[in-house]
Amino acid sequence: MDKNRSQKYKARIDQALATPKLQQALHQFGDAYLLSREKAFIGHDFEALRSQIAEMKDDVREQLDHYLDEFCRNATAAGATIYHAATAEEANDYIASLAVAKGAKLAVKSKSMASEETHLNVALEKAGIQALETDLGEWIIQLAGQRPSHMVMPAIHMFKEEVAELFSKETGRQEPAEIQHLVEVARQQLRQGYLDADIGITGANIAVAETGGIALVTNEGNARLTSTLPKTHVVLVGIDKLVPTLEDAARIVQILPKNATGQLLTSYVTWIRGAVPCGETSKDLHIVLLDNGRRKLAASPDCRDALRCIKCGACANVCPVYQTVGGHVFGHIYIGAIGIILTAFYNGLDQAAELVRACIGCRACVAVCPSKIDLESIILSLREQVGDEEGIGLGKSLVFRKVMRNRKLFHSLIRAASILQKPVSRGERTIRHLPLFFSSLTEWRTLPTVAEKALRDQFDDLAQPLENPRYKVAFYGGCANDFIYPELGVDLVTVMNKLNVLVRYPKEQNCCGVPALYSGDKETAVAMAKQNIDALLKDDPDFVLTTCPTCTMALQRDFVEHLADDPAWAERAKRLAAITVDAAGFIVNQLQGADAFKELPGSEKVTYHDSCHLKRGAGVWREPRALIEAAGDELIEMAHADRCCGFGGSYSFTSHPDISKNILNDKIKDIEKSNADCVAMDCPGCLMQIRGGLEKQNLPTRALHTIELLAQKLRR
Amino acid sequence: MDFTIPFSTAAEAVGAEVIRCKNREQAIAYLLDQLKGSVLCPDFASGKRIGLVEKLLQAGVKPICSDFRMQAASAAAGITGANFGIANTGTIVLESSDEATRLASTLPEQHFILLDPAKIVSDGIAAVPHLRDLHQRDARNYIAYITGPSRTADIERVLTIGVHGPKRLHILLVSGISSDFMEN
Ligand code: SF4
Repeated sequence: MDKNRSQKYKARIDQALATPKLQQALHQFGDAYLLSREKAFIGHDFEALRSQIAEMKDDVREQLDHYLDEFCRNATAAGATIYHAATAEEANDYIASLAVAKGAKLAVKSKSMASEETHLNVALEKAGIQALETDLGEWIIQLAGQRPSHMVMPAIHMFKEEVAELFSKETGRQEPAEIQHLVEVARQQLRQGYLDADIGITGANIAVAETGGIALVTNEGNARLTSTLPKTHVVLVGIDKLVPTLEDAARIVQILPKNATGQLLTSYVTWIRGAVPCGETSKDLHIVLLDNGRRKLAASPDCRDALRCIKCGACANVCPVYQTVGGHVFGHIYIGAIGIILTAFYNGLDQAAELVRACIGCRACVAVCPSKIDLESIILSLREQVGDEEGIGLGKSLVFRKVMRNRKLFHSLIRAASILQKPVSRGERTIRHLPLFFSSLTEWRTLPTVAEKALRDQFDDLAQPLENPRYKVAFYGGCANDFIYPELGVDLVTVMNKLNVLVRYPKEQNCCGVPALYSGDKETAVAMAKQNIDALLKDDPDFVLTTCPTCTMALQRDFVEHLADDPAWAERAKRLAAITVDAAGFIVNQLQGADAFKELPGSEKVTYHDSCHLKRGAGVWREPRALIEAAGDELIEMAHADRCCGFGGSYSFTSHPDISKNILNDKIKDIEKSNADCVAMDCPGCLMQIRGGLEKQNLPTRALHTIELLAQKLRR
Repeated sequence: MDFTIPFSTAAEAVGAEVIRCKNREQAIAYLLDQLKGSVLCPDFASGKRIGLVEKLLQAGVKPICSDFRMQAASAAAGITGANFGIANTGTIVLESSDEATRLASTLPEQHFILLDPAKIVSDGIAAVPHLRDLHQRDARNYIAYITGPSRTADIERVLTIGVHGPKRLHILLVSGISSDFMEN
């Protein structure tokens, strides 16, 4: 790992965290965005729409050259000049030479992320041509000498006072910090630019093969002026923007504004094909088709879905990490989840090496992506690549390879830890303070101790007096249940027995491998997958139950993916996936058993926290709520119930504890505001994080796993 | 199907001013009432049909009918027709390869549009066949979808109207002025 790079990155995080105003702005935006987005999609089937986009984009990727040829043929026939730029430099050189050949002094630009990607402005300035950004946000950024912190709203990180100061410098007057006024200043200041400019440069949201034309999706009207007034129009467009037909283009136009800003449609969609009239003559239209890593991305089986991106920016809007640190930290040129991936391919993996670890893996982006990109999986695979290339750190590597793969050694070390922790735990179940350099870990949350007696060591003593059980299930505890919250395993047995289900605990089970996988060590993850498949299928259980959604996803999805090409294991992995189900889902869907908890004594106000991997991975969120209500509790929805709690495993311990802390604080605030007596959830990781946060802030709200909540009622 | 109501509702929701005119006279009267200063009047079929330029002249408004590039920057308004409308988003589709049409609809602070309500389709997907027809008729195209006035939210995400394009968009719905989606 590159120490210097890491240090700079950490410094950027610290700086962002020290700007609460920025966080507040991004949080507010995120909230408003979700509301308007929801409204915009009323009457539309988002899942169906995004499947269409994904399918169409994949077709283009597979037949890229075919559609490119079609586009170029049609564009050329309509009088456009096409240039294929393999790299950013080639694109810049072409445009700069063109401008020089035209004797151009001034180029007006409308917003183009592709030109940010190639650093076109720098190239133009070097060639002696002034580049004037006309999109309001881009102009602000240009005046400030910064780069965009959001793909759709480049200046989202700036405040009106800062804008007023920048504009005052431009006009030489003291401009008041009123938004309407500042917008008017921009209108007046930039107007002459369009009239004076020799060249207009735009990007394109879509390139249509059928027509050879492009479409620009904009709000301000600057792209229309940029493409109308100057005699020369240069379009810089990535080859990923290609679509086959006008219908395909119309579908993108339909979904893009709704998903980007919650608008039904932008003020303008402009369809331009060929050299249209311009003054006395026709326009000199040049279309620069940019590769710059896109073909490399198309050739990567693990990452290529990212080429479907239509650059709506939604993956940033909903991202808790983005909301915490902003796009200047969580992104390079492109920002947010997609930014991590594109940076790796367009700017190089080393530029993305820190960013791939910054994703907390909550899948909020995956749920809103209009192109159905599994951003989290792609980021994970990049993390693996970085892990392979740079190593994952000697300490971690030793733990994963030498310890975790050896179950007996791993488990005896954990048992030893339970004894070693005594001086700090003072015999309690939580650690409130850690000494020395570990202290920062317990500054903002208490940590649970390793249990004195692991679940595996007490399971055989649990009496399960069932004569004729309906099902025999194997319980996959995962590390948290086994060693930290063994009582949760006991509770599961109580609850299952009530439903006439017999629970076994296969002792050869090991960690699900996710910590290794998330750290970039896939080899260890695969080894553990095999151990677990053996252990869990051994007695041929009817189902395998989990109480941790991260484990659930490992068993249901990751193992199958890891072993798909291994004939000795592929089928067994699938078999395990087919019978794995999380406990709440099992009770409601397989057993139809919610009624068993009716009429139990006691009623509290309970709010529910959706664990990321349960809701957006396993698709379970109604079930636990149904159980809480069936059990007679009053369910109160907190705001942002399905927003990540900031745990993320090693994310909160080693890689990004400061970001984790901020995300947790957001969650605690939402819980407090709900006024509930108890917050329920279905993930031991979330439990560790949320319970730790509540305890540290001395709040009375109890945090419970839904299974604990049910078991406590049964015992009353 | 009559899409007048959903079209008007959607257009008004994004800040367009929709005027449902009973007849041509009412449309002209509205224009005369609103117009101040010079107005860009590119040549368009529905405008000709109602004798727009003559009526403006008679009323003492000076329409600009040529030399658009020189005059556009100082004009107070532009008037154009519309090829058709899209109901669910309140969008005007304006074929504007003709540069005068483009200038009239981009530079001035106000843009007046005459649309025959018989030419409204339900949504963006239903618009595609007409969009394709336009592409098939002309070798080169500049086709604008216009939905409300120009807007930005680039400063503190506060919606602000009228940044680079028109600050006011008036859509005059006038029956019987055009039935052809290929003209404006
Ligand atoms: S990855 Fe998906 S959500 Fe993110 S910008 Fe691209 S299309 Fe939008």
